[in-house]
Amino acid sequence: MLHCHYTTMNIPGNTSGTDVSVLERQQARMKWRQQQQQGLSNDDHCFRGLVEIKPDPGLQYGWPDFSDACQDQLIPPLVADHNLKKRKTHEDHKQKAVSKENGVKDKKIKRCSEENSTETSPKEKPKAVETQKQEYIHVRARRGQATDSHSLAERVRREKISERMKYLQDLVPGCNKITGKAGMLDEIINYVQSLQKQVEFLSMKLATLQPRLDFDIDSLIMKEMFEVPAIGYSSEVANSTYFQVNSLLEMGNSPIDTMLRRSIGGPVSIPETFVVSSCFNQMQPGVTWDGDLHNLYRMEIQQESTTIPFQHKFTGSYEGSNLKMEL
Amino acid sequence: MHTCTKLKSEFIKKWMKGLQICCSSKTNMDFLERKKKIKLCADIALASAKNSTTSWCIALISEAKKHDENKTLVDNLLGPELRIKPQKTNHQMSASHKRARSKKILKKSHHVCQRMKKMGPPKSNIATYITKILVKERTQVLKRLVPGGESMDEISLIKEALDYILSLKVQVDVMRTLANATEVLNQSDSTIFD
Repeated sequence: MLHCHYTTMNIPGNTSGTDVSVLERQQARMKWRQQQQQGLSNDDHCFRGLVEIKPDPGLQYGWPDFSDACQDQLIPPLVADHNLKKRKTHEDHKQKAVSKENGVKDKKIKRCSEENSTETSPKEKPKAVETQKQEYIHVRARRGQATDSHSLAERVRREKISERMKYLQDLVPGCNKITGKAGMLDEIINYVQSLQKQVEFLSMKLATLQPRLDFDIDSLIMKEMFEVPAIGYSSEVANSTYFQVNSLLEMGNSPIDTMLRRSIGGPVSIPETFVVSSCFNQMQPGVTWDGDLHNLYRMEIQQESTTIPFQHKFTGSYEGSNLKMEL
Repeated sequence: MHTCTKLKSEFIKKWMKGLQICCSSKTNMDFLERKKKIKLCADIALASAKNSTTSWCIALISEAKKHDENKTLVDNLLGPELRIKPQKTNHQMSASHKRARSKKILKKSHHVCQRMKKMGPPKSNIATYITKILVKERTQVLKRLVPGGESMDEISLIKEALDYILSLKVQVDVMRTLANATEVLNQSDSTIFD
Protein backbone atom coordinates (compact mmCIF):
# COMPACT_ATOMS: atom_id res chain seq x y z
CA MET A 1 0.00 0.00 0.00
CA LEU A 2 2.90 2.26 0.57
CA HIS A 3 3.80 2.47 -3.07
CA CYS A 4 0.45 4.02 -3.74
CA HIS A 5 1.56 6.97 -1.73
CA TYR A 6 4.55 7.40 -3.95
CA THR A 7 2.38 7.41 -7.03
CA THR A 8 0.20 10.06 -5.56
CA MET A 9 3.13 12.18 -4.61
CA ASN A 10 4.41 11.94 -8.14
CA ILE A 11 1.44 13.60 -9.69
CA PRO A 12 2.67 17.12 -9.92
CA GLY A 13 -0.04 18.77 -11.90
CA ASN A 14 -2.88 17.96 -9.59
CA THR A 15 -1.19 18.79 -6.37
CA SER A 16 0.45 21.98 -7.44
CA GLY A 17 -1.55 24.47 -5.51
CA THR A 18 -2.98 22.12 -2.97
CA ASP A 19 -0.15 20.32 -1.32
CA VAL A 20 -1.23 21.00 2.17
CA SER A 21 -4.71 19.64 1.83
CA VAL A 22 -3.55 16.59 -0.06
CA LEU A 23 -1.13 15.81 2.69
CA GLU A 24 -3.86 16.22 5.21
CA ARG A 25 -6.05 13.84 3.36
CA GLN A 26 -3.31 11.32 3.01
CA GLN A 27 -2.59 11.51 6.65
CA ALA A 28 -6.21 10.95 7.43
CA ARG A 29 -6.28 7.97 5.19
CA MET A 30 -3.13 6.57 6.70
CA LYS A 31 -4.66 6.80 10.10
CA TRP A 32 -7.76 5.10 8.89
CA ARG A 33 -5.88 2.31 7.28
CA GLN A 34 -3.84 1.81 10.37
CA GLN A 35 -6.92 1.52 12.38
CA GLN A 36 -8.31 -0.95 9.93
CA GLN A 37 -5.22 -3.03 10.30
CA GLN A 38 -5.44 -2.81 14.02
CA GLY A 39 -9.02 -3.95 13.80
CA LEU A 40 -10.55 -0.83 15.21
CA SER A 41 -13.81 0.09 13.75
CA ASN A 42 -13.96 3.62 14.85
CA ASP A 43 -16.71 5.02 12.74
CA ASP A 44 -16.08 8.63 13.45
CA HIS A 45 -12.56 8.52 12.18
CA CYS A 46 -13.16 6.87 8.89
CA PHE A 47 -16.08 9.03 8.15
CA ARG A 48 -14.24 12.08 9.18
CA GLY A 49 -11.81 11.33 6.44
CA LEU A 50 -14.55 10.66 3.96
CA VAL A 51 -16.59 13.60 4.97
CA GLU A 52 -13.73 15.94 4.40
CA ILE A 53 -13.61 15.13 0.77
CA LYS A 54 -17.24 14.96 -0.10
CA PRO A 55 -19.83 16.22 2.31
CA ASP A 56 -22.73 14.45 0.77
CA PRO A 57 -24.87 12.89 3.43
CA GLY A 58 -27.41 10.28 2.94
CA LEU A 59 -27.52 9.16 -0.63
CA GLN A 60 -25.90 6.25 -2.27
CA TYR A 61 -25.45 7.43 -5.77
CA GLY A 62 -23.25 10.23 -4.61
CA TRP A 63 -20.50 7.93 -3.60
CA PRO A 64 -19.59 6.20 -6.81
CA ASP A 65 -18.64 9.57 -8.22
CA PHE A 66 -16.36 10.05 -5.33
CA SER A 67 -14.66 6.76 -5.77
CA ASP A 68 -14.24 7.17 -9.49
CA ALA A 69 -12.80 10.62 -9.21
CA CYS A 70 -10.49 9.71 -6.44
CA GLN A 71 -9.23 6.70 -8.19
CA ASP A 72 -7.68 9.05 -10.64
CA GLN A 73 -5.59 10.76 -8.11
CA LEU A 74 -5.34 9.70 -4.55
CA ILE A 75 -7.01 6.56 -3.42
CA PRO A 76 -6.09 3.25 -4.91
CA PRO A 77 -8.96 0.92 -5.74
CA LEU A 78 -8.50 -1.14 -2.61
CA VAL A 79 -9.16 1.74 -0.34
CA ALA A 80 -12.12 2.88 -2.42
CA ASP A 81 -13.71 -0.52 -2.06
CA HIS A 82 -13.16 -0.41 1.61
CA ASN A 83 -14.82 2.94 1.73
CA LEU A 84 -17.86 1.72 -0.09
CA LYS A 85 -18.19 -1.41 1.98
CA LYS A 86 -17.77 0.43 5.17
CA ARG A 87 -20.35 2.96 4.16
CA LYS A 88 -22.93 0.42 3.19
CA THR A 89 -22.81 -1.33 6.50
CA HIS A 90 -22.84 1.75 8.63
CA GLU A 91 -25.32 4.05 6.99
CA ASP A 92 -27.15 5.05 10.15
CA HIS A 93 -23.99 5.86 11.97
CA LYS A 94 -22.78 7.81 9.02
CA GLN A 95 -25.83 10.00 8.98
CA LYS A 96 -25.36 10.91 12.58
CA ALA A 97 -21.69 11.39 12.21
CA VAL A 98 -22.10 13.45 9.11
CA SER A 99 -24.68 15.67 10.64
CA LYS A 100 -22.44 16.22 13.60
CA GLU A 101 -19.41 16.77 11.52
CA ASN A 102 -21.16 19.07 9.15
CA GLY A 103 -21.67 21.70 11.75
CA VAL A 104 -18.18 21.47 13.07
CA LYS A 105 -16.20 21.05 9.92
CA ASP A 106 -17.84 23.45 7.58
CA LYS A 107 -14.75 25.42 6.81
CA LYS A 108 -12.66 22.39 6.04
CA ILE A 109 -15.33 21.00 3.85
CA LYS A 110 -15.60 24.17 1.89
CA ARG A 111 -11.93 24.31 1.26
CA CYS A 112 -11.76 20.71 0.20
CA SER A 113 -14.69 21.01 -2.12
CA GLU A 114 -13.20 24.05 -3.76
CA GLU A 115 -10.01 22.20 -4.33
CA ASN A 116 -11.87 19.25 -5.65
CA SER A 117 -13.64 21.33 -8.15
CA THR A 118 -10.43 22.73 -9.46
CA GLU A 119 -8.73 19.38 -9.58
CA THR A 120 -11.31 17.15 -11.09
CA SER A 121 -14.16 17.34 -13.49
CA PRO A 122 -17.02 19.22 -11.88
CA LYS A 123 -18.59 17.17 -9.14
CA GLU A 124 -22.09 17.75 -7.95
CA LYS A 125 -22.29 19.98 -4.98
CA PRO A 126 -24.89 18.98 -2.46
CA LYS A 127 -28.10 20.78 -3.13
CA ALA A 128 -31.75 20.01 -2.83
CA VAL A 129 -32.73 18.06 -5.89
CA GLU A 130 -36.16 16.62 -6.35
CA THR A 131 -36.39 13.78 -8.79
CA GLN A 132 -39.47 11.69 -9.04
CA LYS A 133 -38.93 8.02 -9.53
CA GLN A 134 -42.02 5.89 -9.52
CA GLU A 135 -43.99 7.30 -6.64
CA TYR A 136 -41.25 8.42 -4.35
CA ILE A 137 -39.83 11.88 -4.16
CA HIS A 138 -36.08 11.74 -3.73
CA VAL A 139 -34.84 14.77 -1.96
CA ARG A 140 -31.24 15.44 -1.31
CA ALA A 141 -30.57 17.03 2.01
CA ARG A 142 -29.01 20.42 1.91
CA ARG A 143 -25.66 21.10 3.33
CA GLY A 144 -25.77 21.84 7.02
CA GLN A 145 -29.31 20.59 7.47
CA ALA A 146 -30.79 17.61 9.19
CA THR A 147 -31.16 14.44 7.23
CA ASP A 148 -34.09 13.13 9.19
CA SER A 149 -36.79 11.76 6.96
CA HIS A 150 -39.45 13.74 8.78
CA SER A 151 -37.74 17.02 8.24
CA LEU A 152 -37.15 16.21 4.61
CA ALA A 153 -40.83 15.54 4.09
CA GLU A 154 -41.61 18.75 5.90
CA ARG A 155 -39.33 20.66 3.63
CA VAL A 156 -40.95 19.19 0.52
CA ARG A 157 -44.35 20.19 1.83
CA ARG A 158 -43.19 23.68 2.63
CA GLU A 159 -41.72 24.11 -0.81
CA LYS A 160 -44.96 23.05 -2.43
CA ILE A 161 -46.87 25.54 -0.37
CA SER A 162 -44.51 28.39 -1.15
CA GLU A 163 -44.65 27.56 -4.84
CA ARG A 164 -48.42 27.80 -4.82
CA MET A 165 -48.24 31.00 -2.83
CA LYS A 166 -46.19 32.49 -5.62
CA TYR A 167 -48.90 31.72 -8.15
CA LEU A 168 -51.42 33.32 -5.88
CA GLN A 169 -49.24 36.37 -5.61
CA ASP A 170 -49.49 36.83 -9.34
CA LEU A 171 -53.23 36.42 -9.30
CA VAL A 172 -54.17 38.65 -6.43
CA PRO A 173 -53.40 42.29 -7.17
CA GLY A 174 -51.26 44.14 -4.74
CA CYS A 175 -49.62 41.12 -3.24
CA ASN A 176 -46.12 41.69 -4.48
CA LYS A 177 -44.85 43.40 -1.40
CA ILE A 178 -46.13 40.93 1.13
CA THR A 179 -43.91 37.98 1.81
CA GLY A 180 -45.19 36.26 4.94
CA LYS A 181 -47.66 33.42 4.81
CA ALA A 182 -50.12 35.05 7.18
CA GLY A 183 -50.21 38.31 5.24
CA MET A 184 -50.64 36.50 1.96
CA LEU A 185 -53.52 34.46 3.31
CA ASP A 186 -55.12 37.65 4.57
CA GLU A 187 -54.95 39.24 1.13
CA ILE A 188 -56.35 36.14 -0.51
CA ILE A 189 -59.26 36.04 1.90
CA ASN A 190 -60.03 39.70 1.31
CA TYR A 191 -59.90 39.24 -2.42
CA VAL A 192 -62.18 36.21 -2.46
CA GLN A 193 -64.63 38.00 -0.19
CA SER A 194 -64.64 41.08 -2.39
CA LEU A 195 -65.21 38.99 -5.53
CA GLN A 196 -68.10 37.18 -3.93
CA LYS A 197 -69.63 40.47 -2.84
CA GLN A 198 -69.27 41.81 -6.35
CA VAL A 199 -71.18 38.83 -7.69
CA GLU A 200 -73.95 39.50 -5.18
CA PHE A 201 -74.11 43.14 -6.07
CA LEU A 202 -74.13 42.51 -9.79
CA SER A 203 -76.91 39.98 -9.52
CA MET A 204 -78.90 42.54 -7.55
CA LYS A 205 -78.26 45.13 -10.21
CA LEU A 206 -79.38 42.77 -12.92
CA ALA A 207 -82.50 41.94 -10.98
CA THR A 208 -83.42 45.63 -10.78
CA LEU A 209 -82.63 46.33 -14.40
CA GLN A 210 -84.75 43.56 -15.75
CA PRO A 211 -88.33 43.27 -14.52
CA ARG A 212 -88.56 39.76 -15.89
CA LEU A 213 -85.78 37.28 -16.01
CA ASP A 214 -85.46 37.10 -19.73
CA PHE A 215 -82.36 38.81 -20.87
CA ASP A 216 -82.93 39.33 -24.48
CA ILE A 217 -79.50 39.01 -25.89
CA ASP A 218 -80.65 39.30 -29.44
CA SER A 219 -82.21 42.66 -28.92
CA LEU A 220 -79.27 43.81 -26.87
CA ILE A 221 -76.92 43.25 -29.70
CA MET A 222 -79.18 44.56 -32.38
CA LYS A 223 -79.52 47.82 -30.49
CA GLU A 224 -75.80 48.13 -30.21
CA MET A 225 -75.40 47.47 -33.88
CA PHE A 226 -77.78 50.21 -34.85
CA GLU A 227 -75.93 52.80 -32.92
CA VAL A 228 -72.99 52.48 -35.26
CA PRO A 229 -73.04 53.10 -38.98
CA ALA A 230 -73.93 49.78 -40.47
CA ILE A 231 -71.15 47.60 -41.73
CA GLY A 232 -71.67 44.30 -43.48
CA TYR A 233 -70.99 42.71 -40.12
CA SER A 234 -74.37 43.52 -38.67
CA SER A 235 -76.26 41.39 -41.18
CA GLU A 236 -74.17 38.37 -40.25
CA VAL A 237 -74.81 38.97 -36.61
CA ALA A 238 -78.53 38.67 -36.96
CA ASN A 239 -78.28 35.03 -37.92
CA SER A 240 -76.90 32.72 -35.25
CA THR A 241 -77.33 33.06 -31.53
CA TYR A 242 -73.90 31.67 -30.84
CA PHE A 243 -72.36 34.38 -32.92
CA GLN A 244 -74.37 36.92 -31.04
CA VAL A 245 -73.24 35.58 -27.76
CA ASN A 246 -69.72 35.72 -28.99
CA SER A 247 -70.00 39.27 -30.10
CA LEU A 248 -71.50 40.25 -26.79
CA LEU A 249 -68.46 38.82 -25.12
CA GLU A 250 -66.18 40.58 -27.49
CA MET A 251 -67.94 43.76 -26.66
CA GLY A 252 -66.82 43.15 -23.14
CA ASN A 253 -63.35 42.07 -24.10
CA SER A 254 -62.46 44.53 -26.75
CA PRO A 255 -62.52 47.58 -24.53
CA ILE A 256 -59.28 46.19 -23.24
CA ASP A 257 -57.96 45.76 -26.74
CA THR A 258 -59.01 49.17 -27.89
CA MET A 259 -57.45 50.67 -24.86
CA LEU A 260 -54.25 48.86 -25.55
CA ARG A 261 -54.18 49.99 -29.10
CA ARG A 262 -55.05 53.56 -28.52
CA SER A 263 -53.13 53.62 -25.26
CA ILE A 264 -55.86 55.40 -23.46
CA GLY A 265 -54.33 56.35 -20.21
CA GLY A 266 -56.05 58.18 -17.41
CA PRO A 267 -58.28 56.35 -15.03
CA VAL A 268 -57.69 52.90 -16.40
CA SER A 269 -54.79 51.26 -14.68
CA ILE A 270 -53.83 48.49 -17.04
CA PRO A 271 -50.07 48.33 -17.34
CA GLU A 272 -48.29 48.30 -20.68
CA THR A 273 -46.86 44.88 -20.05
CA PHE A 274 -50.37 43.47 -20.11
CA VAL A 275 -49.94 42.18 -23.63
CA VAL A 276 -46.63 40.49 -23.03
CA SER A 277 -46.96 39.06 -19.58
CA SER A 278 -48.65 35.80 -18.66
CA CYS A 279 -52.38 35.75 -18.12
CA PHE A 280 -52.03 35.58 -14.37
CA ASN A 281 -50.85 39.13 -14.24
CA GLN A 282 -54.27 40.50 -14.96
CA MET A 283 -55.42 43.52 -13.07
CA GLN A 284 -58.99 44.28 -12.21
CA PRO A 285 -59.66 47.70 -13.67
CA GLY A 286 -62.44 48.28 -11.19
CA VAL A 287 -65.24 50.73 -11.28
CA THR A 288 -63.39 53.37 -13.26
CA TRP A 289 -64.00 51.30 -16.37
CA ASP A 290 -67.68 51.88 -16.51
CA GLY A 291 -67.34 55.50 -17.50
CA ASP A 292 -65.31 54.67 -20.56
CA LEU A 293 -67.43 51.77 -21.68
CA HIS A 294 -70.11 53.89 -23.29
CA ASN A 295 -67.67 55.63 -25.58
CA LEU A 296 -65.89 52.44 -26.37
CA TYR A 297 -68.98 50.53 -27.41
CA ARG A 298 -69.15 52.66 -30.51
CA MET A 299 -65.51 52.35 -31.37
CA GLU A 300 -65.12 48.71 -30.79
CA ILE A 301 -67.46 47.48 -33.48
CA GLN A 302 -65.17 48.90 -36.13
CA GLN A 303 -62.30 46.99 -34.70
CA GLU A 304 -64.17 43.73 -34.35
CA SER A 305 -62.40 42.05 -37.22
CA THR A 306 -58.98 43.04 -36.00
CA THR A 307 -59.56 41.92 -32.45
CA ILE A 308 -60.41 38.37 -33.35
CA PRO A 309 -56.92 37.26 -34.44
CA PHE A 310 -55.55 39.13 -31.45
CA GLN A 311 -57.63 37.08 -29.10
CA HIS A 312 -56.81 33.80 -30.75
CA LYS A 313 -53.18 34.32 -29.88
CA PHE A 314 -54.07 34.78 -26.27
CA THR A 315 -56.34 31.80 -25.95
CA GLY A 316 -53.40 29.68 -26.96
CA SER A 317 -51.16 31.07 -24.31
CA TYR A 318 -53.89 30.92 -21.70
CA GLU A 319 -54.56 27.28 -22.35
CA GLY A 320 -50.87 26.58 -22.10
CA SER A 321 -50.40 28.33 -18.83
CA ASN A 322 -53.63 26.88 -17.57
CA LEU A 323 -52.24 23.43 -18.18
CA LYS A 324 -49.19 24.35 -16.20
CA MET A 325 -51.34 25.51 -13.36
CA GLU A 326 -53.34 22.35 -13.19
CA LEU A 327 -50.23 20.35 -12.56
CA MET B 1 -60.15 38.97 -19.50
CA HIS B 2 -58.85 38.63 -22.98
CA THR B 3 -57.99 34.98 -22.71
CA CYS B 4 -61.06 33.28 -21.36
CA THR B 5 -63.49 33.77 -24.20
CA LYS B 6 -64.23 30.10 -24.51
CA LEU B 7 -65.05 29.75 -20.85
CA LYS B 8 -67.05 32.94 -20.94
CA SER B 9 -69.18 31.89 -23.87
CA GLU B 10 -69.90 28.56 -22.20
CA PHE B 11 -70.80 30.32 -19.02
CA ILE B 12 -73.11 32.81 -20.58
CA LYS B 13 -74.88 30.20 -22.64
CA LYS B 14 -75.61 28.07 -19.63
CA TRP B 15 -76.59 31.04 -17.58
CA MET B 16 -79.12 32.23 -20.10
CA LYS B 17 -80.48 28.73 -20.45
CA GLY B 18 -80.90 28.44 -16.71
CA LEU B 19 -82.64 31.77 -16.51
CA GLN B 20 -85.03 30.79 -19.26
CA ILE B 21 -85.91 27.64 -17.35
CA CYS B 22 -86.45 29.73 -14.23
CA CYS B 23 -88.73 32.26 -15.78
CA SER B 24 -90.75 29.65 -17.58
CA SER B 25 -91.62 28.04 -14.25
CA LYS B 26 -92.74 31.17 -12.42
CA THR B 27 -94.13 34.30 -13.96
CA ASN B 28 -94.07 36.91 -11.23
CA MET B 29 -91.20 36.99 -8.85
CA ASP B 30 -90.27 39.69 -6.44
CA PHE B 31 -86.92 41.35 -6.39
CA LEU B 32 -85.14 39.15 -3.90
CA GLU B 33 -86.28 35.99 -5.54
CA ARG B 34 -85.10 37.23 -8.87
CA LYS B 35 -81.76 38.11 -7.44
CA LYS B 36 -81.40 34.72 -5.87
CA LYS B 37 -82.27 32.96 -9.08
CA ILE B 38 -79.85 35.02 -11.07
CA LYS B 39 -77.05 34.32 -8.67
CA LEU B 40 -77.82 30.65 -8.43
CA CYS B 41 -77.95 30.24 -12.16
CA ALA B 42 -74.71 32.10 -12.51
CA ASP B 43 -72.95 29.93 -9.95
CA ILE B 44 -74.13 26.68 -11.39
CA ALA B 45 -73.42 27.80 -14.91
CA LEU B 46 -69.90 28.70 -13.94
CA ALA B 47 -69.25 25.46 -12.14
CA SER B 48 -70.51 23.39 -15.02
CA ALA B 49 -68.91 25.51 -17.71
CA LYS B 50 -65.51 24.86 -16.27
CA ASN B 51 -65.92 21.20 -17.07
CA SER B 52 -63.26 20.23 -14.63
CA THR B 53 -63.11 18.03 -11.62
CA THR B 54 -61.95 20.55 -9.08
CA SER B 55 -63.63 20.00 -5.82
CA TRP B 56 -65.13 23.46 -5.46
CA CYS B 57 -67.15 22.88 -8.63
CA ILE B 58 -68.48 19.62 -7.34
CA ALA B 59 -69.18 21.09 -3.93
CA LEU B 60 -71.14 24.01 -5.40
CA ILE B 61 -73.28 21.76 -7.50
CA SER B 62 -73.98 19.28 -4.74
CA GLU B 63 -74.77 22.15 -2.39
CA ALA B 64 -77.31 23.48 -4.85
CA LYS B 65 -78.85 20.09 -5.36
CA LYS B 66 -79.62 19.73 -1.70
CA HIS B 67 -82.60 22.03 -2.05
CA ASP B 68 -85.35 20.22 -3.87
CA GLU B 69 -86.58 23.22 -5.76
CA ASN B 70 -83.32 23.64 -7.52
CA LYS B 71 -82.90 20.04 -8.46
CA THR B 72 -84.68 20.11 -11.79
CA LEU B 73 -82.96 23.29 -12.75
CA VAL B 74 -79.57 21.87 -11.99
CA ASP B 75 -80.23 18.65 -13.80
CA ASN B 76 -81.39 20.42 -16.92
CA LEU B 77 -78.43 22.69 -16.89
CA LEU B 78 -75.81 20.14 -16.30
CA GLY B 79 -76.71 17.78 -19.03
CA PRO B 80 -76.44 14.01 -18.97
CA GLU B 81 -72.70 13.55 -18.50
CA LEU B 82 -72.42 15.46 -15.30
CA ARG B 83 -75.47 14.05 -13.62
CA ILE B 84 -73.62 11.00 -12.45
CA LYS B 85 -71.00 13.03 -10.67
CA PRO B 86 -72.99 14.29 -7.69
CA GLN B 87 -73.80 10.77 -6.58
CA LYS B 88 -70.19 9.81 -6.46
CA THR B 89 -69.23 13.00 -4.76
CA ASN B 90 -71.84 12.61 -2.05
CA HIS B 91 -70.09 9.44 -1.08
CA GLN B 92 -66.76 11.19 -1.31
CA MET B 93 -68.02 14.06 0.74
CA SER B 94 -69.31 11.84 3.51
CA ALA B 95 -66.07 9.92 3.57
CA SER B 96 -64.09 13.09 3.69
CA HIS B 97 -66.35 14.45 6.41
CA LYS B 98 -65.63 11.42 8.48
CA ARG B 99 -61.97 11.86 7.84
CA ALA B 100 -62.22 15.49 8.78
CA ARG B 101 -64.02 14.67 11.99
CA SER B 102 -61.53 12.08 13.03
CA LYS B 103 -58.73 14.44 12.13
CA LYS B 104 -60.31 17.09 14.31
CA ILE B 105 -60.51 14.76 17.27
CA LEU B 106 -56.90 13.77 16.81
CA LYS B 107 -55.85 17.36 16.51
CA LYS B 108 -57.68 18.37 19.64
CA SER B 109 -56.09 15.68 21.71
CA HIS B 110 -52.75 16.52 20.19
CA HIS B 111 -53.25 20.16 21.05
CA VAL B 112 -54.06 19.34 24.62
CA CYS B 113 -50.93 17.24 24.94
CA GLN B 114 -48.85 19.93 23.36
CA ARG B 115 -50.23 22.56 25.64
CA MET B 116 -49.31 20.50 28.66
CA LYS B 117 -45.78 20.27 27.38
CA LYS B 118 -45.63 23.81 26.13
CA MET B 119 -46.14 25.41 29.50
CA GLY B 120 -42.40 25.63 29.77
CA PRO B 121 -40.81 27.82 27.08
CA PRO B 122 -43.46 28.81 24.57
CA LYS B 123 -42.80 32.51 24.84
CA SER B 124 -39.17 32.18 23.90
CA ASN B 125 -40.02 32.95 20.31
CA ILE B 126 -43.19 34.94 20.41
CA ALA B 127 -43.12 36.02 16.81
CA THR B 128 -43.25 32.56 15.29
CA TYR B 129 -45.83 31.50 17.84
CA ILE B 130 -48.11 34.35 16.87
CA THR B 131 -47.53 33.75 13.18
CA LYS B 132 -48.53 30.14 13.54
CA ILE B 133 -51.74 31.07 15.27
CA LEU B 134 -52.55 33.68 12.65
CA VAL B 135 -51.90 31.30 9.79
CA LYS B 136 -54.12 28.68 11.38
CA GLU B 137 -56.93 31.15 11.89
CA ARG B 138 -56.74 32.39 8.36
CA THR B 139 -56.68 28.96 6.79
CA GLN B 140 -59.84 28.26 8.74
CA VAL B 141 -61.49 31.32 7.28
CA LEU B 142 -60.36 30.43 3.79
CA LYS B 143 -61.75 26.96 4.20
CA ARG B 144 -65.11 28.47 4.95
CA LEU B 145 -64.97 30.79 1.97
CA VAL B 146 -64.03 28.35 -0.74
CA PRO B 147 -66.89 25.95 -1.38
CA GLY B 148 -65.98 22.46 -0.36
CA GLY B 149 -62.90 23.61 1.43
CA GLU B 150 -63.68 22.17 4.82
CA SER B 151 -62.16 18.82 4.18
CA MET B 152 -58.93 19.67 2.45
CA ASP B 153 -55.38 19.91 3.55
CA GLU B 154 -53.43 23.11 3.14
CA ILE B 155 -51.75 22.37 -0.15
CA SER B 156 -54.87 21.43 -2.08
CA LEU B 157 -56.76 24.23 -0.38
CA ILE B 158 -54.47 26.79 -1.92
CA LYS B 159 -54.79 25.12 -5.30
CA GLU B 160 -58.57 25.18 -5.07
CA ALA B 161 -58.52 28.80 -3.99
CA LEU B 162 -56.46 29.65 -7.05
CA ASP B 163 -58.92 27.99 -9.37
CA TYR B 164 -61.85 29.53 -7.58
CA ILE B 165 -60.41 33.03 -7.82
CA LEU B 166 -59.90 32.65 -11.56
CA SER B 167 -63.44 31.56 -12.17
CA LEU B 168 -64.88 34.21 -9.89
CA LYS B 169 -63.03 36.81 -11.93
CA VAL B 170 -64.60 35.45 -15.10
CA GLN B 171 -68.02 35.47 -13.52
CA VAL B 172 -67.71 39.02 -12.29
CA ASP B 173 -66.50 40.21 -15.64
CA VAL B 174 -69.32 38.66 -17.61
CA MET B 175 -71.97 39.82 -15.19
CA ARG B 176 -70.62 43.31 -15.21
CA THR B 177 -70.61 43.47 -18.99
CA LEU B 178 -74.17 42.23 -19.14
CA ALA B 179 -75.30 44.68 -16.51
CA ASN B 180 -73.70 47.57 -18.35
CA ALA B 181 -75.14 46.51 -21.66
CA THR B 182 -78.62 46.25 -20.17
CA GLU B 183 -78.19 49.62 -18.58
CA VAL B 184 -77.18 51.21 -21.84
CA LEU B 185 -80.08 49.52 -23.53
CA ASN B 186 -82.54 50.77 -20.98
CA GLN B 187 -81.16 54.26 -21.20
CA SER B 188 -81.41 54.32 -24.95
CA ASP B 189 -84.95 52.94 -24.68
CA SER B 190 -85.92 55.71 -22.32
CA THR B 191 -84.40 58.38 -24.55
CA ILE B 192 -86.34 57.02 -27.49
CA PHE B 193 -89.58 57.27 -25.57
CA ASP B 194 -88.82 60.83 -24.54
